[in-house]
Amino acid sequence: MSSKRFRGAGVALALTFGLLAGCSAGEGVEVDGGTQAGVGGVLTAAISGEPDQLDPHQTSAYPSFQVLENVYDTLVEPDANLAMKPSLASEWDTSDDQLTWTFTLREGVTFSDGSPLTAEDVVYSYNRIIDEELNAAYRFATVESVTAPDPGTVVVQLTAPTPNLLASLGGFKGVAVVKKSNVESGAVKTEPIGSGPFAVSSYSAGDSIKLVRNDNYWGTKPKLDGVTFTFVQDPTVALQNLRSGEVQWTDNLPPQQVSALRADDDLVVRSAASSDYWYLALNQARKPYDDVNVRRAVAFALDRAAITKAAKFGLATVNQTAIPTDSAFYYDYAPYQQDLAQAKQLLAEAGVTDLTMDLMVTNEYPETVTAAQVIAAQLKEIGIAVKIRTLDFAQWLDEQGKGNFDSFMLGWLGNIDPDEFYYAQHHSAGTFNFHGYRNPAVDNLLDQARTETDQAARKQQYEQAAKQIVDDASYLYLYNPDVVQGWSSQVSGYEVRADRAIRFRDVALTR
Amino acid sequence: MTRFVLRRLLQSGIVLLGVTLVVFLLLQLVPGDPVRVALGTRFDPETYEALRSRAGLDQPLPVQYASYVGQALTGDLGVSFRSGRPVTAIVLERLPATLSLAITAVVFALLVAFPLGVLSALRSGSVFDHAARVFSQFGVSVPDFWMGIMGILLFAGVLGWFPPSGYVALTEDPVGWASHVFLPAVTVGLVTASILTRFIRSSVLEVLAEDYVRTAEAKGLPTRVVVVRHVLRNALIPVVTVVAVQLASLLGGVIVIEVLFAWPGVGRLTYDAVQARDYPVLQGAILLVAALFLLVNLLVDLLYARLDPRIRVR
Repeated sequence: MSSKRFRGAGVALALTFGLLAGCSAGEGVEVDGGTQAGVGGVLTAAISGEPDQLDPHQTSAYPSFQVLENVYDTLVEPDANLAMKPSLASEWDTSDDQLTWTFTLREGVTFSDGSPLTAEDVVYSYNRIIDEELNAAYRFATVESVTAPDPGTVVVQLTAPTPNLLASLGGFKGVAVVKKSNVESGAVKTEPIGSGPFAVSSYSAGDSIKLVRNDNYWGTKPKLDGVTFTFVQDPTVALQNLRSGEVQWTDNLPPQQVSALRADDDLVVRSAASSDYWYLALNQARKPYDDVNVRRAVAFALDRAAITKAAKFGLATVNQTAIPTDSAFYYDYAPYQQDLAQAKQLLAEAGVTDLTMDLMVTNEYPETVTAAQVIAAQLKEIGIAVKIRTLDFAQWLDEQGKGNFDSFMLGWLGNIDPDEFYYAQHHSAGTFNFHGYRNPAVDNLLDQARTETDQAARKQQYEQAAKQIVDDASYLYLYNPDVVQGWSSQVSGYEVRADRAIRFRDVALTR
Repeated sequence: MTRFVLRRLLQSGIVLLGVTLVVFLLLQLVPGDPVRVALGTRFDPETYEALRSRAGLDQPLPVQYASYVGQALTGDLGVSFRSGRPVTAIVLERLPATLSLAITAVVFALLVAFPLGVLSALRSGSVFDHAARVFSQFGVSVPDFWMGIMGILLFAGVLGWFPPSGYVALTEDPVGWASHVFLPAVTVGLVTASILTRFIRSSVLEVLAEDYVRTAEAKGLPTRVVVVRHVLRNALIPVVTVVAVQLASLLGGVIVIEVLFAWPGVGRLTYDAVQARDYPVLQGAILLVAALFLLVNLLVDLLYARLDPRIRVR
């Protein structure tokens, strides 16, 4: 998944993040007194897909966010542990009733063209998303108004307490602060102007996007002179580019070769547990999957370790809940160990025999196709005949929207706050609840937790909701994949991030 | 001659109009909703409707088609669903990469196929002939993406002679262009060469069996003169058609190879547009391909008249 373009809709996910960088050998460059080793140069990064456009509010494609992560800023941004930290906002206050958030902007911030970035730009950006109902509008569901009492202050007025507001305003660059004139001229689609560490200098369709260092950047000046992103869809070809020095960074490595590549002295291959998860969902609007015993029977029939091994070549962590182990919201709960006898007994209790189950997967995410074969073999053991249906993603989404499926496998990418992990998927009014899960107790918990400002109480509410979701087998969670990226040994200062954001601002290149 | 060209151009216009209608209708049959794809999992009914209306997809089909054709007549092929950029610009900016790959591949194919096909026909049944036939059988049977990957692993990986993928514009850096175009052009060209080799061989064999060739030999003309003046001249007329068809289809973009070699041509554009259900871009790309096909065919007809005085254009 991650290596495919999260195109468009990237499924579940795509929305959230990233960038990658790449490098390329730059010609000599002087930067900040270029005597230090590793200063200057242009890094070329091979990413697997091409951005559809570079307007951060309009795109939903992961390749776009891979580039834009280095071009734009948000009020706050996630650190390495995905905790929200100051970015354009240096500090913020919350009123006692939790309904008014006042952000103080960092002083002296400018866009890459030198014009000042003020509170008015923040107000414009947020109102654009809200008024035009752009992709990230759902993140502003509780926002009543955004105002700028003075050029250094932004006030966000809420209709209900929103403990995850910071994640909503900073979780990814789809809520970046844009420049009004850049948007209104339409240039933002190919020549976006942000306040981030790099600025877009040229875009060659189908081939590459070049970034240059933003000398007006408010933070520590990047060491690189620039970053060039090239689009290489085939992982074998991307790896050859890395080996031959044409590129210095890629996130598109052939998964089956990753363990061998770790031993390669010329390359650095690193992985980190991601905040993504992959799951199997059964359509509860169809018989017999409305019966919890049938869903639990399937859950008990699965050997998650075998599925994970086949789908990800071991580059993933088995998990029976959604949130990965290193998150503060991780909930240790794993009631389903493969138990064929129990699975058969549950099916018998449900009165189900000779079941044929349609399983919808997409070649957009090849791991679902591979996993489906293992799932089919495992379910055969308890007498369920699985018919695998492999569709292209556009058709897959269509069928999902119409409810034309018994079951499907997919992933969610880039979630940070637990609300993003559970609400859209499992609340009976959730926008992604295409599998028809309805449990009033879960609805209640998710509604409460959404506005619960006491962190400990909130965590507990999510744990209760998660337990119920797992017991009801609303989703059959399978694994959290690793983010795997590789780069040349010339590259230093790069860190793989759990949210797949690709940041090149601290990277240096030795030649 | 001028009348002939004018009439052909008019016919081409009608064909293109038909192409737009067929493509437009076919796209309606393809399952998959472009708005759903663009939104992905962050699906929300209000955002969905907003995007649908911005893309003009809430209009009735006849209205969508009429406005498309109306604008197309002025050279405006609409804007991409995905990027919001004008389709005309998107499609045209991909043309140089595809043109340079297609032409290089056909030149390579001719350099291989011409000697191979002619010699194996002249020495029909020899070891050389068998070897040439094995080569061409291999070329048409082996999948091009596999040959492409093998080429990358050998020439870019083990030998390091060429970059594994990427594109440099010919106008910017001819040497860089040549090194980048080599592997994809050879991969595409091998398939074309195999097809042409078989065709040239059989065409030459056919002419060799003609009475006038026997007559030429009987009157004592040197073999070289018989082959060049009588055999090749006649054998190559049908070959021109096949070469033109091959070239025209390559101009439509070689999807698999362009994707594999990260070549920013029309084929890769088409592939991405299908994935995203970006109908305006897809329509624009198909229209361009159809126009190129018609153009190449027209040129071939004109070329015929030059090659063979018996053919007149009226």
